[in-house]
Amino acid sequence: MTRHTRILMSVIYWAFIVYLFVPLVLMVMMGFKDSKFIGFPIRGWTLEWYTGIFQDAEILGVFGYSMAIAIASTVLSLSIGTWVACFLGPHKFRGKLIVFALTCLPAVVPGIISAISLRIFARGLEIEPGMLAIILGHTVHNVPFVALVVMARLSTLPPSHIEAARDLGADAIVAFFRVTLPYLVPALVGAGVFCMLLSFDDFVRSFFLGSYEPTLPVLIFAMLRSGMSPEINAISAVVLVLTAILGLWAERSMRRLNKGS
Amino acid sequence: MAQSDSKLAGVERAGASGNGRSFWGRLLTSDLYQAVSAVLFKTQRRRFWLLASFPLFWVVFAHLGPILRMFWISFLDSYPPTAGTVPQLTLANWGKFFEDAIFVMPYFRTLGFAFVLTLSTLILTYPVAYFLAKHVRRNRQMLFLLILLIPFWVGEIVRTYAIMILLGNNGAVNLILKFLGLIDRPIPFMYTSFSLGIGIIYLTSLYMLLPLYSALEKIPNTYLEAAADLGAGSWTRFWRVTLPLSKEGIASGCTLVFLISTGYYATPVLLGGPSTTVFAETIAGFFHVAGDQWPVGAAFASIMLITTLTAAAIFLKIMGRSGKGMME
Repeated sequence: MTRHTRILMSVIYWAFIVYLFVPLVLMVMMGFKDSKFIGFPIRGWTLEWYTGIFQDAEILGVFGYSMAIAIASTVLSLSIGTWVACFLGPHKFRGKLIVFALTCLPAVVPGIISAISLRIFARGLEIEPGMLAIILGHTVHNVPFVALVVMARLSTLPPSHIEAARDLGADAIVAFFRVTLPYLVPALVGAGVFCMLLSFDDFVRSFFLGSYEPTLPVLIFAMLRSGMSPEINAISAVVLVLTAILGLWAERSMRRLNKGS
Repeated sequence: MAQSDSKLAGVERAGASGNGRSFWGRLLTSDLYQAVSAVLFKTQRRRFWLLASFPLFWVVFAHLGPILRMFWISFLDSYPPTAGTVPQLTLANWGKFFEDAIFVMPYFRTLGFAFVLTLSTLILTYPVAYFLAKHVRRNRQMLFLLILLIPFWVGEIVRTYAIMILLGNNGAVNLILKFLGLIDRPIPFMYTSFSLGIGIIYLTSLYMLLPLYSALEKIPNTYLEAAADLGAGSWTRFWRVTLPLSKEGIASGCTLVFLISTGYYATPVLLGGPSTTVFAETIAGFFHVAGDQWPVGAAFASIMLITTLTAAAIFLKIMGRSGKGMME
């Protein structure tokens, strides 16, 4: 490695960090601008936009709606994903690779196609567009992530733990609830927060599966189509901060998990 | 006496919760539970199928079902069904794709975009991943990855909006260029393939960076030192050692970015213009009008799904990997 390439690389490296963060920083800053007009330079500052959204019943309602969807789909994804992982992880059987590929399928289908196919599927099952359809759609999309994380954790569980439980009289179900499940908790916390974020930030599925009641990203999208305003900045900034806190917390718990095993 | 009795009972209870009469203990010893589990778990085989039933049902029904249903709808002449008519099978929906340049153009544009963007993302993030894996201190690496994940978690819409603020006519870039005296009038970055490209790279770069980083990080420094001792220059070391050993990361990163970037809908709507209509917008168009265009939309979505998955499979094959480990 010559000195020049090394300097060049460090420049690219720092430029990349700037590229990732500057747009978000600008977005948060613009929410403090004392004018309805989005654009630089910023001459006056105000907190009005941020305080405004916390008094706006409609926005708070949409926030609650998105949150409810995120929580419901997370609970479903965790239950289903764990079951899939407990079946797929430890067992060997013919066609396992096919089942594994099917498990991962929703994660590799491009977003728009996933949304369209779920919309058609919901219509076939006579599920009306709306909250239930979005919850189920998000669940289908999130199950692969839960299954993969839980399978990874499961593979580090020493079989002797289960054997010991069985020797002490526990049957398969009791051994699962008293040994396997507690062992999986850190993975479930991480996967759960990840699901919450995926669901809360999802646009394309919520857009196609939703009724007239928007989730937060759909609302931001609709607002953006009719023009930028500092209000959108304030909403986005709040979403950003919440997401970052939840994400960092989950990452920390996942990291502890990896160290622990 | 009574006191010692209750004390004894207390000891017993404390002991019992450890091995017998806790909730789980009571459950295990209850007649009903034993009767039920005797039937359910009688044989190894029965246990296996009990555990397998729901996951198998779920992945076939909920994961594969929507895709198959979409394929099926794409061959019907009308959907959602109207009262009193029986949908007929037809190939017309698929044929429609080839009839009009309005449909074919966005399709090739999307594939072209995805290809160019995947390549640009690779070229952009490779040095970053390399620098991170080889020249940044170990504990700093973790910190960097952690802060890197923050923009990664923020959704598609919020990040797209951030790019709009950056590139708008009154955006930060134009302000800086004007301040530096390089331009008099703002450059119209927005609603072009440039703004769309910047936006999509912004959204996808981490899907490239993370696999690249984990591949590069695994390459032992001793390999590079050995190559240097044998007289290889820095370029030779890169081409003959680093690049081949990071092939896995390149393969999974490129596949992910390709698949993901073809699937964006909101970003092209917000950042692109009439000249950058992508196939996702074409497909979505069939679902905004009254229901009867659904079969065409389904056919187009099927075309795109087949194309992207085939392209990804061929690419992974060329790179010498099965699709199996892609999600890792």
